[in-house]
Amino acid sequence: MDTLSLLGYGFGIALSPENLVFVFIGVLAGTVIGVLPGLGPISAIALMIPVAYGMDATTAIIMLAGVYYGAVFGGSTSSILLNAPGIAGTVATSFDGYPMARKGGAGKALAIAALSSFLGGTVGVVLLMLIAPYLARVAMSFGPAEYFALMVLGLTAVVSLAGDNLTKGLISAVLGVMIALVGIDGQTATVRFTFDLPELYEGVEFLIVALGVFALAEVFTILARRTAAGSDGTVTSLRLTRGEIGQMAPAAGRGSLLGFFAGVLPGAGATVASFLGYSAEKRIARDPQTFGTGNIKGIAAPESANNGAAVGSFVPLLTLGVPGSGTTAILLGALLVLGVQPGPLMLTDRPEVFWGVVASMYVGNIVLLVLNLPLIPVFAKVLKTPKALLVPLVVVFCVVGVYGLSFSVFDLWLLLGFGVLGYLMRQNGFPAAPLILGLILGGLMEESMRQALQISNGAWSIFVTQPISATLLALAVLSLAGPLLRALRQRRPAAATGGPGNGGGQGESEETRGQARS
Amino acid sequence: MVPFRFSNRTVAVAIALVAAGYLVLAFRLPDFTAVDVPVQPSTLPKWLGAVLLLLALTLFFQRTPPDEPGTDAPSATPTAAGGGEETGETAASGEDASGGGSPASAADSADDTTGEARLGRLSDTRLELLAFVGSVAGYILLLVPLGFLVTTTLYVFGSAAYLGYRRHLVNALLSVGVAALLYFGMSEGLNVTLPQGPFPF
Amino acid sequence: MLSTPRTPRVTATVAAGASVVLLAGACGETGGQDANGEWAPEQPIELVAPAETGGGWDQLARTSERVLVDNELVEQDVQVENKPGGGGAIGWSYVDSANDPHRLFVTSPPILLVPLAGESDHGHNDFTPLAGLATEYMTFAVPDDSPVQSFDDLVQRISEDPESVSVAGGSAPGSMDHVALAGAVQAAGGDPTELNYIPYDGGGEAMTQMVGGHVDAVASGAAEAAPMVESGDARLLAVTAPEPVDSLPDTPTLQEEGIDYDFNIWRGVMGPGDMTDEQVAYYDRIFAEMVETEDWQQEAENLGWEQSYMDSEEFGEFLDESYAESAEVLDEVGLRGDQG
Repeated sequence: MDTLSLLGYGFGIALSPENLVFVFIGVLAGTVIGVLPGLGPISAIALMIPVAYGMDATTAIIMLAGVYYGAVFGGSTSSILLNAPGIAGTVATSFDGYPMARKGGAGKALAIAALSSFLGGTVGVVLLMLIAPYLARVAMSFGPAEYFALMVLGLTAVVSLAGDNLTKGLISAVLGVMIALVGIDGQTATVRFTFDLPELYEGVEFLIVALGVFALAEVFTILARRTAAGSDGTVTSLRLTRGEIGQMAPAAGRGSLLGFFAGVLPGAGATVASFLGYSAEKRIARDPQTFGTGNIKGIAAPESANNGAAVGSFVPLLTLGVPGSGTTAILLGALLVLGVQPGPLMLTDRPEVFWGVVASMYVGNIVLLVLNLPLIPVFAKVLKTPKALLVPLVVVFCVVGVYGLSFSVFDLWLLLGFGVLGYLMRQNGFPAAPLILGLILGGLMEESMRQALQISNGAWSIFVTQPISATLLALAVLSLAGPLLRALRQRRPAAATGGPGNGGGQGESEETRGQARS
Repeated sequence: MVPFRFSNRTVAVAIALVAAGYLVLAFRLPDFTAVDVPVQPSTLPKWLGAVLLLLALTLFFQRTPPDEPGTDAPSATPTAAGGGEETGETAASGEDASGGGSPASAADSADDTTGEARLGRLSDTRLELLAFVGSVAGYILLLVPLGFLVTTTLYVFGSAAYLGYRRHLVNALLSVGVAALLYFGMSEGLNVTLPQGPFPF
Repeated sequence: MLSTPRTPRVTATVAAGASVVLLAGACGETGGQDANGEWAPEQPIELVAPAETGGGWDQLARTSERVLVDNELVEQDVQVENKPGGGGAIGWSYVDSANDPHRLFVTSPPILLVPLAGESDHGHNDFTPLAGLATEYMTFAVPDDSPVQSFDDLVQRISEDPESVSVAGGSAPGSMDHVALAGAVQAAGGDPTELNYIPYDGGGEAMTQMVGGHVDAVASGAAEAAPMVESGDARLLAVTAPEPVDSLPDTPTLQEEGIDYDFNIWRGVMGPGDMTDEQVAYYDRIFAEMVETEDWQQEAENLGWEQSYMDSEEFGEFLDESYAESAEVLDEVGLRGDQG
């Protein structure tokens, strides 16, 4: 059967009244949970499994999938308004979303995020539909050596995220990797840097660090600024000019593609995708210096990437039975409870589940857009709250988010500690983004490096003899060499410059680099 | 002045101390001998510690630029798209940074836009920040013994009133409302139990 | 529920009595301590999953909760509490510190292995075994086109050139997959210390890495191996069950291959250290009833769990035996951490 008739079959399933109701419930619950800082889709899905149990398997999965991509869709709201990432995948959205909101463009930032999310989700679904089975095989060709090379390439983004002082950016990144290594080492079960605190045995939860160095540090900054009133003006307007849409669309397109492919790789997921999307977009931009001050492309790229990745992560989940992230791990559990065994045979054994879910994602994305756009002015009003009230409320939200994650008071102390660290870093010109980048990529990089060397019995040649890994490493070297050479030539620290982007945007990057030079 | 800003030298020394401590811990990590592993658990940490030390050294010899902007918001070139008000305020930390060059501009520029009362009560921003950290610490400390409902209500009401929110009735209603909404929403809706303290619900 | 304390207790006794009769009729030998078990829970039962939401323990806890409540096997509510951290150690100390018969936890081999690795102050002896609920077996898989024909063959190849054969598993060295593999290799006459074991984050990931050609073989739970085996991408060499497994008719057990070894990924429930006989008897009863329900059997089948109920006493003996076996394997491989 060709894809179109299969999709028609899928829509037949997805558009049944029952499934329409549940996709609506799913994305609604997802958006709400995504908006609350800290609370992620994982707990939401876990808690909806009992509800899903006893439903028809397809309906249940349509709903649970809706919770997941709904949360990624809604997660940008608190990133943009409060600098408090709703879920891990939206940390990068705050880099430009929050500055834009502070400059009075909250409604606009939210609108860009919603439209980019929609685009990312939709592009993701189209790709999922067209090439999922083939992609699964590509994902399998990624072994430890390839992952290592990918992580190295990702880490070179530090150069573009570092801002004005490369030294400080690198220090920040090294600290991030150091935090990533805390806990029981998965490769040898050695306990590292835990100071004998059992609470640290499983490492430091990513979201605690992100909420600390972004949300709490921002609260300190608000306090130090000593302005009591909330913002006013046009915060709630979500009107975009044609020029703005012209800026947003290509960035979101690139982000969607990049995000989807990153999502397909197990282990990478929405968070990594959004960072890759952001840094790639900054590298190829003609105006990299405006990233971080409210650049439209800086919102569009990570938002489309994380939504693309959320959809992309269904490729390994459904066609290989491999969960690429914590969220898809729990979805896998849910599928098993419902009697659906994902794997290479799923497309032939249970086509109604696969095509029903794919079709429901089209529906779900439209529902999300329709649901979120009218809510933007309401959400944006948050910024009009007097600061004296906003400050304790943000603290409470962070505390609830972190506590709901681990039920541990210890983690709340960590949150406060990272808040203080984040503020001190900010005051002294250390960017927080490289720290987060080091944290998400560092652990994966070490793990895959050691797996690869274990397989090759210690021979480092494994990284350069495999074609994919060698290509990725070469790209990494190139993307470092460009800015460094230029920095040497100009004798001042490199902020962010060209160098091929990851995946999709390579052609453009060459072009823009030429223009930037001329 | 910018609170808690230190010279590059001071920061470099602090980082070097962290790096040194980290290296000590890294070198104390036992080697894994049960199975032959090409990369020891301590390999990467040793490298990281060394690199951090080197970076600290580099930083030590960099002069502290008087007006180095905060880095996650490289100074203020307004985006072509910016449609809202762009006076005074630049991006989040760009503003703190601009304060580095001309003392007190941070507060001033903000006051220009809004002309409202100040946040908090202490005149020294550093003390104000420390007091704030203290209040969050108190919140965390009491969270489990008193339960989420009571602690959160007290914290939100107390902080907001202290920071200068004068509509006490609204504040009281709001703090009770937010605490209750979160508590019951989480425990009933999401099945996530927040600390209940000495109460039976 | 809380208003009249007497009524529920009467109901409890009646229900308990009835269940014993039922059980006696149904399976004759299990569960029937004595019918005078007066104790019944006075407040909601807290079922601790010492892991985050979504993991195997969480799944076990939430499945049990659902079946117990839906089938009205308990008079009180059942609440799942997630206490992640320390590979379980945080949750175990949480149960131990309260020492409350209403606070139980779900468990599996890590309660033996984590203390053996020296990473927890609490071991299985600090708790009261209540029930063994289900089990899953370990399987050893190779890619379909692999030249390796049997588990013996695999061990031979490892013995000849240990560096050339990499075997992946879904957990760290010294934890479940590795211990099972090392034990089997040892029983087959190989040297477990020579194993080139590559740890991944879960059996499913290990399987795809193997099918992708990055490692040569995988040790993983039967359920995690299933998708790739059913699609023909991978082939099972052996399963670690003592008896042939119905769901894997074509896969020989190690015993059938002439290797005297079995390994059990068992799942069960334990309570705090101090429990009275009446309390133990109560839980013995409800869990025995639980595994008999249709709901439970359906879910177990979906999740790839084999039925293997053990009552409190059997479960306790079983734990002691497994502990001794695992300790031996870990000693052999040099991964034992509680004595160093």
